[in-house]
Amino acid sequence: MRKYLFIIKTQIMSNLQYVFNIVFSFIGYFILLFILFNLWQYLYSDPNELINGYNMTQMSWYVIITEILWMTLGGRKLCHKISQDVRSGNITYNINKPYSYIGYCLSTHLGDVFVKGLIYIFLGMLTGLLFLGSFPKLTLINILVVLITAILATTISILLIISIGLISFFIEDSGPFYWIYSKIILVLGTIFPIEYFPTIIQKILNFSPVYVVSYGPAKLFVDFSWDKAVSIILAQIIYIIIAYGICYLIYKKGVKKINVNGG
Amino acid sequence: MLTEVKNQWKVTRLSIQYALVRELLNKATFLSNIFFMILNDSCMIVQWIVLFSIKNNMGGYTFKQVLLLWGMAAGTYGVSRFFFKKSFNLSETINSGKLDAYIVQPKNILLSTITSDIEIAALGDILFALIVYFIYGFNMRTFLLYLFFCITGGVMITAIAIILNSLSFWFNNADMIADVGIRLIESFATYPDGIFKGITKWLLFTIIPIGITNYIPIKVLIEFNPYLLIINICVCLLLMILAYTIFSKGLKKYSSSNLMSARI
Repeated sequence: MRKYLFIIKTQIMSNLQYVFNIVFSFIGYFILLFILFNLWQYLYSDPNELINGYNMTQMSWYVIITEILWMTLGGRKLCHKISQDVRSGNITYNINKPYSYIGYCLSTHLGDVFVKGLIYIFLGMLTGLLFLGSFPKLTLINILVVLITAILATTISILLIISIGLISFFIEDSGPFYWIYSKIILVLGTIFPIEYFPTIIQKILNFSPVYVVSYGPAKLFVDFSWDKAVSIILAQIIYIIIAYGICYLIYKKGVKKINVNGG
Repeated sequence: MLTEVKNQWKVTRLSIQYALVRELLNKATFLSNIFFMILNDSCMIVQWIVLFSIKNNMGGYTFKQVLLLWGMAAGTYGVSRFFFKKSFNLSETINSGKLDAYIVQPKNILLSTITSDIEIAALGDILFALIVYFIYGFNMRTFLLYLFFCITGGVMITAIAIILNSLSFWFNNADMIADVGIRLIESFATYPDGIFKGITKWLLFTIIPIGITNYIPIKVLIEFNPYLLIINICVCLLLMILAYTIFSKGLKKYSSSNLMSARI
């Protein structure tokens, strides 16, 4: 475990060199928020009106949180890196090291997300306060629980993306699989809460990754309840085990197919 | 002059053709890229189904018209990324000194550079644009206009990418500015202009010309307006000239890095 913590620390130190780039990349996040704020303002004729149980402020905060989770993740980059490692044979340099490749990818990327996450949380909250003028009613412990669910959500997302990247062992380019995964998370969990969908779809979504990687932390932030918090954290722990299991199986099966030409 | 244009056209066509042949070496990846991109684009329809279940009019657009807007966004994106992929990472080409390989060729440097690679997935976007159009309703006149606007839109986005990326001739971190600029255009492209008000709407028809590339074409397709068509063509020409001028001016400041590279 200590070696993985060391990798995370190294990545954090390395990312601290690029704070300006991260702040600059926030513009992309801001644009998206701006568009979605306009959309919700258009849809809500009265800001206090409830649409599927959410008023306009809640919907805006929901999107702020889900977009922070999504945009700090850098999933495309991670998937591409793993895919390239497999395709180019670089993965062989990691196989003979005293760590697991999955653990290495997870800790490296967690380190990458950490600095970006902190900056996006700060700037995202500031943007929300400027546009909406109010902050959801949360105690310090509530905020801590939301942060824990956000960290777990990021861990699950990274593991799921690693498993998608590892598909490159079997199909050369895993990118298209990532596109579909990202669109599912974006449409079914980032732009709208689960309550926006028909009851049958809601039941399916409650068991899907959308619930644990996107909806969970954002729902707790806009409408905190301990019952919900416990059920979300439990679901996240189960999902971490499942996602790691999937990664492990794909890796174990795929690594046997490696054929190194030397060089 | 005409022979020169003809030769340049031939080189451009061959460049795209060879890139396509290269990609076709792995047919499974080629086809999966296209298929998954169509699927990827289709996923966003869910977003609009949900939004239209709340309100049956989105900024003056019906569901079918929003679909058409999506198709137009995919079409313009597809044209720009398929034919002119390199214009989107021109910064990297300039900063790393890879422009040398194109400078030594006796052909137009800008055109040779931006057409030297293709993005296969963008073919999926173009196909998605066509599928959406047929869902909207076929009519020969609007179909030709739709194709025309996809091309002019694609050219305009390419021109903006060239302008922003060419800033790399003067500044080090211009790639970041280019990324933000392109993201700005792509983000607004799929939302109806009716949901934006005041200065934002004004910006969409000026500095962020998504109004010219996407919104005006949709208005013309819904109800033909020759003036709007002329605006579209004029802005397209203006952006092309501007892109070429800025790139050419920047090229004078370019210094080689003595990087040995070969185009295979």
